[in-house]
Amino acid sequence: MTDSATLLETASMTDPVISARPRPFYAAMREQDPVHYDEKLGMYLIARYEDIQTIQQDPITYSVNKGYHTQQAAGFQQEFQDILKRDGGGYFPDAIMSDPPYHTRIRKLMEHAFTAHRVKELEPRITKVVTDLIDSVADKGAADAIHDFSVPLTIRIICEQLGLDWDMKDRIQRWSIAVTAQIGRMQDRAEMIGHAKEICDLQHYLIAKMKERQADPREDMISDIVHAKIAMDDGSIQTLTFDEAVSLVRALLIAGNETTATALGNLFYILATQPEIADLLKTSVDDDRLLNRFVEELLRIEPPVRGLSRMTTKQVELGGKTLPAGAHLLLMYASANDQEDVFPSPRAFDINRPNVGRHLSFGGGVHRCVGLALARMEIKVAAREIVRRIDNIKLAIPESEITYLPTVATQSIAKLPITFTRRS
Amino acid sequence: MAGSKNTQSWMESLALMGTVSVTFVDVNGQARVVPDAQAGLSLMEVGKANDVAGILADCGGACSCATCHVYVGEDWMPVVGPPDEIEFALLDMVADVMQDNSRLSCQIKLSAALDGLHVIVAPN
Repeated sequence: MTDSATLLETASMTDPVISARPRPFYAAMREQDPVHYDEKLGMYLIARYEDIQTIQQDPITYSVNKGYHTQQAAGFQQEFQDILKRDGGGYFPDAIMSDPPYHTRIRKLMEHAFTAHRVKELEPRITKVVTDLIDSVADKGAADAIHDFSVPLTIRIICEQLGLDWDMKDRIQRWSIAVTAQIGRMQDRAEMIGHAKEICDLQHYLIAKMKERQADPREDMISDIVHAKIAMDDGSIQTLTFDEAVSLVRALLIAGNETTATALGNLFYILATQPEIADLLKTSVDDDRLLNRFVEELLRIEPPVRGLSRMTTKQVELGGKTLPAGAHLLLMYASANDQEDVFPSPRAFDINRPNVGRHLSFGGGVHRCVGLALARMEIKVAAREIVRRIDNIKLAIPESEITYLPTVATQSIAKLPITFTRRS
Repeated sequence: MAGSKNTQSWMESLALMGTVSVTFVDVNGQARVVPDAQAGLSLMEVGKANDVAGILADCGGACSCATCHVYVGEDWMPVVGPPDEIEFALLDMVADVMQDNSRLSCQIKLSAALDGLHVIVAPN
C-alpha cells in the first residue's frame, strides 16, 4: 500500500494504474492537497466537493470554453484541427462548451429537448428497447455487459432520438471513442490521427443527414436543431449557424452515448458484486421512489464522468491556493462524491441517503448535464427490466482484472464478462 | 431582425395575462418583493430575472435538478397544489431539506390566482 504522501509526489491521472484504481489518490488529495498540481498532466486536480461547487457557480472566472478547448487533442491541437479542416468538412468548436452569455443562448435550445416531462413520454419506447436487448442474451447465460448490452442500448436510444440509422451502431461506437479520447489526455500522436480520421467520417455522415433534414424536416432531433428557433428572455428569436448545429448534433450523439453506456456497465458491476442490492431491486421493481434513489446512488458511487476541465480567466484563490490566470483545472467529481463529510460512509451503497441527489456526477451550475433526465430514465428502466428477467448475475473474471478505457475524463469499464440465469 | 413580428406577438400575449405580486425570502433570509411579476412565467424565471439568492435553476426549468427549490408560504399550498410524481422524485433526492410544502419553482406557473404568493427559498 503506497502512503498518501508518496502518492501525492508520484501519482498522475495519466498513469494507467492510478487511472484505473484512483480512489487512494483521490483520498490523499482530499485530505492533504485538495487543489493538487498533477505535473505529468499539467493540470490542477480539484478534489473537494466545496471547491468544485465554487467553480461551478462561477462560469466566468472558471471558463469551460478555454478549459475544454485546451484539453481537446492536447499536445496535437493544430494538427488535429488541420485534419478536420482538410478531410472532415471543417473544424467545428463545441458550441455548448462555451461561456455565458454565448452559452446561455445555445443551452436554452438544448434544454427544451430534454425536460423530465418529455423524457417520461419516452419510457415505453425505452422499455421496449431494453427488454428486446435483454431477451436477446438472456438464454445464453454469459455475455459481455458492455459490448452486448450497455453500448448497443444507448446507441439505439440516441439513434431513435436523433433519427439516425441503427445499422450504424459499430461506427457510432468507434466515433464515440474517437471524440471522447480528445479530452482523455491519454492518446499518442498515432492514436490521435486515427481518432481524427474517425471524426472526419462522423462529420461527413452528420452533415449529410443535416442537409437532408434542412430540405425535408422530420420528427427527430436533427430536424429540431437544424430548424431551431430560440426565444430569448428579451423576447428576441435567434437561430443557430450551420457550424454550431454540426457541433451540437455531434455532441448529442456522442456525449449521451459513451457516458450512459458507462453507467449501464456500472449497473451490471454493482448487481454482480453486491447481490444484496440485486435482491433489494428484485423485490422492489414496482417501487418508483426506490428505483429513482437507486439510480442516483449508482451515479454517486460510480460516476461515469470523473473529470472535466475548466480554465481560470484571472488570478483566483481556491482551496487555500492562489491559482494564476490560465490555470488548467480538472474537476474530480468522483473524488467529491466520496467526501465523507458530505456522504458519510461513502463507499457503502446506501439508497436511503437523505442527500442522495447532491452528487456531482452530472456536474452543476450552468453546465450541468443537459441530458440528465434521459440518462436517469435509461438507467432506471435497465435496472428494473434486468432484475425482472435475469438472475444470479456474477462476474466471469476476478474484479482485479477489470480494465478501463484510457482516459482521465471518464472511468469506463472496457469489458465486463458476466454470467447469469434467466428468471423463470 | 428576423422574427421581430413573432417577438412582438409573444410579448403581447404575455402582457395580456397581467402581472402579480410575489415575495421571495431568499436563501440568506432577505425578503424580496417582486410587485409586477409577469403572469405566464414560472416562479423560477421571475426569481432568476430578479437575482433572488438561492434560485440557481441549473437545469433551466426542465424539472431535472432541485436547485430552484422553495417552501410555499402558509395558506398558499392549496392554491399552488402538490408536486407531480416527476417533481416529487427530484425533491426526494434532497430529502435532507424537503418539507411538506416543498415545490420546485420552475414548475409553478404564475397566474392571477397566485397574486400575493409568498415563498421561502430552500438551502441548496
